[in-house]
Amino acid sequence: MVAREILEKIKQKFGPAIPRADLPAPGRLFIFANPSALKEICQFIFHDLNARYVISIGADDRPVSGQFMVAHNFAFDNLHLLSSVLTYVDGEPPVVDSISGVVPAANWAEREFRDLVGIQPKGHAYPKRLILSDGWPEGVHPLRKDVPWNFVPPNYDDQKEFTFEDPPEGCVVVPFGPFHPTLDEPAHFRLYVEGEMVRGCEYRGFMAHRGIEKLAESVLTYNEIPMAAERICGICGCVHNVAYAQAVEQAAAIRPPPRAEYVRTIMLEVERLHSHLLWVGLASHILGFDTLFMQSFRMREPIMWIAEKISGNRKTYALCTIGGVRWNFTPELKAELRQVLDKLETEWRAAADAISRDRNVQKRTRGIGIADQALIRRAAMVGPVARAGGVDIDCRRDHPYAAYDQVEFKVIVEPDGDVWSRILVRVKEVFESIKIIRQCLEKMPNGPIQLEIRAELPPGRIGLSSVEAPRGESHHFVITGENNRPRRWRVRAPTYQNLQGIPAMIKDQQLADMTITLGSIDPCFSCTDRLETIDLRSGRTRVYSQEELVRLVRARKDS
Amino acid sequence: MKPDLINTLGGGLLNVLILLVTAPFFEGVLRKITAMIQSRQGPPLLQPYFDLLKLLGKDDLESGESPGMQRFAACLSLASILAVAWLVPMVGWPPLNGAGDVILLVYLLTLCCVSTLLAGLAAGSTYSLMGISREMMTMITLEPLFVVAILVGAVHTRSLRLDEVLSGSVYAAGHFPWSGWIMLVVLLISFQALVNRVPFDIAEAETEIMEGPLMEYSGPKLALFKYAQMSKLVVYSALFIGLFVPWGSGLPFPANLCVFWLKIFVVVLGVTLVAATHARYRIDQAIRYFAGLLGVAFIALVLAVYGY
Repeated sequence: MVAREILEKIKQKFGPAIPRADLPAPGRLFIFANPSALKEICQFIFHDLNARYVISIGADDRPVSGQFMVAHNFAFDNLHLLSSVLTYVDGEPPVVDSISGVVPAANWAEREFRDLVGIQPKGHAYPKRLILSDGWPEGVHPLRKDVPWNFVPPNYDDQKEFTFEDPPEGCVVVPFGPFHPTLDEPAHFRLYVEGEMVRGCEYRGFMAHRGIEKLAESVLTYNEIPMAAERICGICGCVHNVAYAQAVEQAAAIRPPPRAEYVRTIMLEVERLHSHLLWVGLASHILGFDTLFMQSFRMREPIMWIAEKISGNRKTYALCTIGGVRWNFTPELKAELRQVLDKLETEWRAAADAISRDRNVQKRTRGIGIADQALIRRAAMVGPVARAGGVDIDCRRDHPYAAYDQVEFKVIVEPDGDVWSRILVRVKEVFESIKIIRQCLEKMPNGPIQLEIRAELPPGRIGLSSVEAPRGESHHFVITGENNRPRRWRVRAPTYQNLQGIPAMIKDQQLADMTITLGSIDPCFSCTDRLETIDLRSGRTRVYSQEELVRLVRARKDS
Repeated sequence: MKPDLINTLGGGLLNVLILLVTAPFFEGVLRKITAMIQSRQGPPLLQPYFDLLKLLGKDDLESGESPGMQRFAACLSLASILAVAWLVPMVGWPPLNGAGDVILLVYLLTLCCVSTLLAGLAAGSTYSLMGISREMMTMITLEPLFVVAILVGAVHTRSLRLDEVLSGSVYAAGHFPWSGWIMLVVLLISFQALVNRVPFDIAEAETEIMEGPLMEYSGPKLALFKYAQMSKLVVYSALFIGLFVPWGSGLPFPANLCVFWLKIFVVVLGVTLVAATHARYRIDQAIRYFAGLLGVAFIALVLAVYGY
């Protein structure tokens, strides 16, 4: 068993520093380490055992153990193993050795637990605030258990402006965002531009943090969270929905009925279809190629309709509960889905042909926004971005879940790492998704779609789940808890890691290539920020302050 | 009044009127056909008229560094293109034939572009400035192409008169020299850039620099810029037809006019098709492309001087 071999290797080197290790399920490994050895163990796992960094989690475990918890998650993709190195720290403020020096991709995650839980990463090279706005007072950490979910500190100053670094000499600052036609959601890139060349950038995101994780830990219950989880993202919501359910199921050692797993697989692939078609459209729009934009949206429309027929909704399918799914497939639905797929396949083949022969598009995308294997590993980039850079990872094959181990499909890999390769990867993945859905429809067994769960879920168990979203690996980490809700739930959307590679990808490129480079990772800021935008219409001309807007939005219940 | 003067004044005003009336129509055609290519319903043909009326009726907001200059730039853009209309044969002959020549034509065309530069410069925001730096680069490499085409015609006819140059002069009265054919090809493949359409709408690229020079403009000022943009399409089409597609202008009235406007329609159709099937080029790619064309154009000019 590979997990045991890996554990042996680590124990050989760090035996005394590892008081406990768990192998609760195949493909899962939990190592409890002493805080003093944490950095060396992570370095060993990342550099010597060649694991992929996934995410770091900080949690307030004081109500149970009186300590804070830090976990660093790694994936051994070719060994089909997800692992977590956990440690407990004391003190006020609690301090833990930063691993971002040896694992650069941990940069954001460590800043995040510093902001939200108040665990100081010691030795972090760039410990600037990441999530909390600059007006939020020091010393208030929203994810601590003694902070209520709706708490706003009295000295919170929501008018305070962000502080930014100074641009390098000879560069002009071009603000890209918070609102820009190619950004669907608020995020702020301060580009340092010299002539038409981008020399660097600073990113400020997390502009409207919704605190979904806090809600889940303090207000919602196990079966309500999937509905909140899929509202993390407007495009790949079902992914979060499934990933959360699977993480809890894994923690509690529950297995949903086979038919439910097939339904999950089909809906995840339906979602990938609509997401990839949407992306091809948006990328074309960014390149000024509006005809392909319109055509791919037209082809996407039947997918939205069939999704509505299955789940009652074009998006946000409200699919999973713990131990099952809520929607079933009738024979009529199956037949209709098959028809939609046939039509899409024909149309998409024509579109794919046209795209692959288009010299004009290639001219704009070849050699642009390159993410090579070194950068992909350093920033822990995932999904189509990694696969387009020749890194052969795909959670559907590497960490099989739902019914993916029952179907055959190809993992599309392209060698060049540029925007063009990412286009090719996504265009080809559409055909693989169609293939997967067809196989599922063929093989789907009869039977129940929901497991009956009578007992309370056991508290204190840890679950990990990686789901291959259209944008890459969505990773959920759950610690089960009391009162019918998890103690800690951490969501790592693919954009969280991919976005960290962007500064290196746009450096020393033309400004005109910035938008397509950013677009090519298919950024999903809402996943990353876990935020929500509010559309507000007003007929009168007046300027609202943020406070007034918030009041107005809260007063309006009908829109 | 002398009949000459009446001809000039009346013809000039008629040209301006025709341009103002037809420009939004051709824009409407362009939008409708684009929509059909994209499997959309598209706006009604008259939508550009409504758009302009709506913009003209809005409050004149002042956003930018020097409002006076911005207002001037907006007026200049439409005024210069309307002035060009006096020099273009749109109802059979160029009205200002007696007073203007092709040199004036070139100056006025450059003035149209300068008004865009002025608009961006006066607005003064980061994106506007990036837009005008792109516009400037394009202008420097693009304008000479058109000048060379006119010069080739002028060399062949040994005249700078509008009516002689703008009646298929590049073909040297049916001798069809090499230079004429070369310039036809050069202008055909740079035409999208002359009328600021995809793949060469780089200076305004909405998804990169948010309309560039026009970013700070709204309401009536935007309407003037838009109107100028629409008119530019018709004027450049007319110039292109005058230089390269003169056939049919000798037909009796009104057949010659029908043929002329049919040709304009075909040019607009071509522009639409190219715009709908291409992605936008990057500025450095576009400049390299134009620079190559410019080299070819100069060869054509040399050929023309030696009578080829």
